[in-house]
Amino acid sequence: MTTLLEELNQEMGDVVENARRSLVHVLSGRRGSGAGTIWHRDGLIITNAHVVRDQSPRVSLPNGDTLPAKILAHDAKLDVAALSVDATDLPTVELGDSQNLQPGQWVTALGHPWGVSGAATGGVVIGSGAGLPDVPEQDREWIAVSLHLRPGHSGGPLVDAQGRLIGINTMMIGLEVGLAVPVHLVKEFLRRELGSNLQQSVTTLL
Amino acid sequence: MSEVLANFSNALAGTVEQSSASVVRVEGRHRLPASGVVWSADGVIVTAHHVLEQDENIQVGLPDGQTVPATLVGRDPSTDLAVLKVEASGLKTPEWLDAESLKVGNLALALGRPGQSIRATLGIISAVGKGWQTPTGGAVDHYLQSDVTMYPGFSGGPMVDSTGKFLGINSSALLRGGTTITIPTATAGRVVESILAHGHIRRGYLGVGAQSTRLPDAVASQLGQETGLLLVSVEPDSPAEQGKLFMGDTIVSLAGQPVRHLDDLFATLSGDRVGTSVPVKILRGGQTQELAVTIGERT
Repeated sequence: MTTLLEELNQEMGDVVENARRSLVHVLSGRRGSGAGTIWHRDGLIITNAHVVRDQSPRVSLPNGDTLPAKILAHDAKLDVAALSVDATDLPTVELGDSQNLQPGQWVTALGHPWGVSGAATGGVVIGSGAGLPDVPEQDREWIAVSLHLRPGHSGGPLVDAQGRLIGINTMMIGLEVGLAVPVHLVKEFLRRELGSNLQQSVTTLL
Repeated sequence: MSEVLANFSNALAGTVEQSSASVVRVEGRHRLPASGVVWSADGVIVTAHHVLEQDENIQVGLPDGQTVPATLVGRDPSTDLAVLKVEASGLKTPEWLDAESLKVGNLALALGRPGQSIRATLGIISAVGKGWQTPTGGAVDHYLQSDVTMYPGFSGGPMVDSTGKFLGINSSALLRGGTTITIPTATAGRVVESILAHGHIRRGYLGVGAQSTRLPDAVASQLGQETGLLLVSVEPDSPAEQGKLFMGDTIVSLAGQPVRHLDDLFATLSGDRVGTSVPVKILRGGQTQELAVTIGERT
């Protein structure tokens, strides 16, 4: 009985530790910082459009390096931005399937809530897809999760029970429901916005 | 990596999927629809009273995606439950579990279907208490509270355990402050059966206006209670008047149950006592005496 909980506890910690390797700080604008997720080892970072508040964002990598970032693409409506930094061999997390999520499955969100670096919070999928009640823009797809996203979580990874990236933490609706942009929309966004400009290695990842 | 966590996650999702066949959408208000639970395979649906803002033009969204009209069989505001009937057959009924077998700390999933598909959230059982009285006077078998967040449209839906057994019907409206209360299986069963049989919940009736009052010290120590209920009015032709109760009497017990506050009176005036003659102990002129009243039915 206790052993089961201990194992569960251990694995929850492992999932967070693994996902945290792809979590970055995105510094932009005058105040505070948001989070970002390393999408590709050669310096492609995904964050929320609302985290990128000026034209010269900087990214703090897990190894402590802070680098200037270039805005490759920006979609305010989707609330996703793609940044690139001059770095190679960055740690990434495996991409998961955000189109077949089941209500009740376990998820973990990482970010820097209220500036607490690399913090984690866990919950379950409430529902996903289009037509969720009470969400902005009913026809677009979201992942609704039962956890509290706070300022500083935006742009960070949402991972499943196996630690695979399924969404980008984006906002709260009301006091209790967290929303994340599903990774399949991020893939579409990258294809649409970057298309042939992507390096070969990046394209294979999509 | 993560076999236990992945199994845990898959098991949660599996429980939700399995239970979802007994969870319906209830459209009975202008705002967001709410949820309900299949009570019988032939179309009896239990939901929350407060999510039905109208008595007619109610629709129910079945798990198979059909939306069908529903008639309101009855409601019980005191336990925030209502019963609907739809034309259907072969609906999947859930397996119900009594609150006695629950422990504080057990996992609990709240399910809802405010839209087309099932929605879920997770928490733990925070309290499994004794019987209690809702602020609106409903008698509930167990105080069942969890830390599960009730999202909009989840009221009327079930709380389920880790194996998919239904623990009761969730309501966010019974207590203030966002406390998630589940009306447990036993209470839901009693209320639903009464609504199906009588169209409403039977409640006992005395026909008195009363307020709590301090008893004289000697009487208090003799009875072991500090307060009783002072009658400030007695309705003409009411069970109380027929039982020879008068304004100015102080009720100290009814049917053998101590009566200290109005809540005690509400609790004692339960539906099963309607039509029965019960002893009532009063304080009159400084003396206690016992009379008998026949409990009427509140209409």
